[in-house]
Amino acid sequence: MRLILLCFSFLFFATSLLAQKRFIVSGTVEDKATGEKLIGATIKIKELPKIGATTNNYGFYSISLPAGNFTLVYSYVGYNSVEKAVTMTVDQVFDISLEPQKQLEEIVIKSNKPNNDNVASPQMGEEKLNMAQVNNVPVLLGEKDILKTITLLPGIESAGEGNTGYYVRGGASDQNLILLDEATVYNASHFFGFFSTFNSDAIKDVSIYKGGMPPEFGGRLSSVLDVIMLDGNNKDYTVEGGLGLISSRLKIEGPIVKDKGSFMISARRTYVDVFLHASSDTTLKGSSLYFYDINAKANYHFDDKNALYISGYFGKDVLELKDIFGTLWGNSTGTIRFNHIFNSRLFSNTSLVYSNYNYTIEDFQSASYFKATSQINDVNFKEDLQYSISNDHTLKFGLNVLHHTIAPGTITTNETSSFNDVSVEERYGYENAAYISDDWHYNSKITFLYGFRLSSLFLLGPGTLNTYDAAGNVLSSATYASGKLVKDYFNLEPRFTASYLLNDQSSIKASYNRNTQNIHLLNNSTSTTPADLYVMSSNNIKPEISDQVSTGYFRNFSENIYEFSAEVYYKALQNQIDYKDGAQLILNPDVESLLTYGSGRAYGLELFLKKKYGKFNGWVGYTLSRTELKFPAINDGNYFPATQDRTHDLSVVGIYQLNERWSFSSDFVYATGNAVTYPTGKYEVGGITVFSYSQRNGYREPSSNRLDVGATLEGKKHKKYHSSWTFGIYNVYAHRDPYLITFQNSKTAPNTTEAVETSIFATAIPSITWNFKF
Amino acid sequence: MKEFRFSLGIMIILLSLCGCTKVIDLRLGNDSGLLVIEGNVTNLDSAQHIILSRNVPFTNTNTYPPVSGATVSITDNQNNTYNFTEGPAGTYSSAPFQGAPGTTYKMSVTSGGTTYTASSTMPAPVLLDSITEKSNEFNPGDNRRGITVHFQDPPNVPNQYRFIMWVNNVEVQYVFAYNDEFTNGRYVNLDLVETITDIYPGDTVKVEMQCIDEPVYTYWFSLMEQQFGGPDGGVAPSNPPSNIAPTVFGYFSAHTTQTQTLLVQ
Repeated sequence: MRLILLCFSFLFFATSLLAQKRFIVSGTVEDKATGEKLIGATIKIKELPKIGATTNNYGFYSISLPAGNFTLVYSYVGYNSVEKAVTMTVDQVFDISLEPQKQLEEIVIKSNKPNNDNVASPQMGEEKLNMAQVNNVPVLLGEKDILKTITLLPGIESAGEGNTGYYVRGGASDQNLILLDEATVYNASHFFGFFSTFNSDAIKDVSIYKGGMPPEFGGRLSSVLDVIMLDGNNKDYTVEGGLGLISSRLKIEGPIVKDKGSFMISARRTYVDVFLHASSDTTLKGSSLYFYDINAKANYHFDDKNALYISGYFGKDVLELKDIFGTLWGNSTGTIRFNHIFNSRLFSNTSLVYSNYNYTIEDFQSASYFKATSQINDVNFKEDLQYSISNDHTLKFGLNVLHHTIAPGTITTNETSSFNDVSVEERYGYENAAYISDDWHYNSKITFLYGFRLSSLFLLGPGTLNTYDAAGNVLSSATYASGKLVKDYFNLEPRFTASYLLNDQSSIKASYNRNTQNIHLLNNSTSTTPADLYVMSSNNIKPEISDQVSTGYFRNFSENIYEFSAEVYYKALQNQIDYKDGAQLILNPDVESLLTYGSGRAYGLELFLKKKYGKFNGWVGYTLSRTELKFPAINDGNYFPATQDRTHDLSVVGIYQLNERWSFSSDFVYATGNAVTYPTGKYEVGGITVFSYSQRNGYREPSSNRLDVGATLEGKKHKKYHSSWTFGIYNVYAHRDPYLITFQNSKTAPNTTEAVETSIFATAIPSITWNFKF
Repeated sequence: MKEFRFSLGIMIILLSLCGCTKVIDLRLGNDSGLLVIEGNVTNLDSAQHIILSRNVPFTNTNTYPPVSGATVSITDNQNNTYNFTEGPAGTYSSAPFQGAPGTTYKMSVTSGGTTYTASSTMPAPVLLDSITEKSNEFNPGDNRRGITVHFQDPPNVPNQYRFIMWVNNVEVQYVFAYNDEFTNGRYVNLDLVETITDIYPGDTVKVEMQCIDEPVYTYWFSLMEQQFGGPDGGVAPSNPPSNIAPTVFGYFSAHTTQTQTLLVQ
């Protein structure tokens, strides 16, 4: 209630700032060829260079102007700008279509001058991926992958080869929120992390927030990856697809009602198992190894003011060894959204979102038969409003009611099996939040983006819940009826960003934000497995809290063709989770007794130089950082480096457009190795040599580095269809990145021990893909 | 739940795809010369042994300096005290006595001016029914064999087991520790999955089954979890929680024991 009052007083205060009679121009910006709404297109006023707006996630914009004659300039990277003359005497609505530039025209920058958004916007810690660039960056086996591409940005580190996990500014990989059309994707990996669940064909826009997080996002400590699917072409039917080494993909899109509604369906499937079936080995012949995913979206614009979007994702991984064992896992999400424009100032989006992650592990052999299943199920209601009070103030506020059902696991067996049936109680809870933010242009130099998010967790019955002491003994136990409150947590998360424009080409920015996290991934193994176990904050687990301050210098060169930024950050972490020795987490009803809690800190410097335009474009990102954790039971209670502590992390990406048919690309990465625990001695127990350790994560894996190259050959122009070839070589100079290091008795020299390094990709891996569109 | 074979399957598939290994040289620290105590009391009527040694640097050979001159004894909860005398250096032995299930034994070791104590309760024995062999399920064309142990887990009580395997009288350098969290009261067929020693027809395999108490199980299970360093997800390595105070390397275990031998066909 107090929150609502606060919101109202906010509105009142802001509205009262309006003195002069003003009019609103609003509308949407879309792609002329496909009707796709453009996110982040800019609108500038020629006569009033300090005033401008950008389109939101639905392509909507709103600008208030005094009476008079003005010229509006609509622009978007890779599109021809459009100018629109307007006489402001009443509120007006302009829906604008922008025409994509022919690729080579990009080098001629005349009317479409690159803007200085990255300097002028108060937002910091945000990176946007240009899908055209994602499609050009060379990748493993030709599978374009946004999760691999974001790790080429400063402050975002790859969790390693064969792992789609990533670390943002020192956070653990479960501290990243991954949203696909607002739905949480809990396990974004296919094939144990070699590929991600995101099929680039179906994706329109990708942004990642690593700091300065806007209040509309919350629920995870480190970052938000906001992935938005394509709406579908509302002008024409198109079919496009590709045949690659390990997978094929197909996308169909077209109008439902021309200019009013469209659909998009995109699917891909791997066919490694085709090779298995060709094997002479009978077990392999009857085995399965594949994944597939389907993205679908449809939208309908009833009129200028009302639009409906329905989208969904469904993906599954299957790994089955005939008559031995099988495992399958997958995510499914669904989103229904309704956009309503109340008036030229107030835009509303209402969403109903469903999200599920589940896995099954099955042993088919009679002596050990079992089938284990587990899932997490979310239903989420969201209301988001955007209110343009004036050109100086844009408010965003909203509510979020998210219901979790977590089924940690059930085992079913049969009579001949060695195993018993087991079922661990399901857990229920609500994660509710309300937020408000104001984008305040204080004057032509100073801009604030500030607000707060009130987040809460309500852990509910039915169920029997235990409270444990530090040693893991049950202190108390209580049984709750359905819907009865077990535990609640409230956290106020202030978010504040300010920017000071030094001149047109440079600015300094600073931000503070608090994030909290009430859903925690428990996994004490060192790799991506499908057996993810989620728990909510409870009597034992407190919400994880992160406070981050950051500041940065932003500078553009050569008429905004080059963008440079330097950001430093410091993050303090509370209520971090680690595991006791010998913790067995899976299907353990007392899993919370095996946890131990501590704190952490992370700080670093990120340098980023980007060339967005021209025949040659790309970027260089460098991160210098440190991440440390502190747990009473580990390292005598002293700080130790987190696994993801990376001193140096360098990425270089270059894309060169030779002519209309050929383009080339390359990327190079270098990173300090993970912090790991290596033995400092050995001894013998039970006749077996075992290792002794003195410090957690006191050693470094060897550093990793890799060079990839790629080339795209566009087919000759045809009226009816278009085709292209993509070639790539991953790990060109066949560097051996360490995947794991094991310590063991030597096989060659008796009575001694040795360290053995295993690499996954010790050779260059070529790929070729044929793409078509008609 | 490492008997979930799933992890092993992943390992085999991934590493067979593109894995390659090499021995590397790492500069490791040296934190050696620390005391290791290994105490066992079994239900066999024989001399019981407590072994004291020190750890050595990683790069040394696997020979561990014995610790002599310690005062070692065991007391049970009926106040019987068994004194241990040093035979071969570092090995302390008692006069023959038989440990009894249900009895709690307290070990006391005084060495270098510090007295280390630990206690352990011998669980009731569970009969090792049989051990059998089977061919490699992932690749039947392969001549290697796997070993399975069979026993009836008693219902109503938690049970913990440790297995030790010898192939042609050489101990397999692998820790096997299990409990009945998922198998309580079942007839259990348990595969002793390891990747260190290959077993072929003609080999003689001996398996010892120990029934151990819970703290000792946690000790061995922690060691076992760390053996999986691979794509199936080993845990961050650390020294396993010892039941000896003040903390040293090692353990004190009162357990029952039985062995069976199999000639692999």
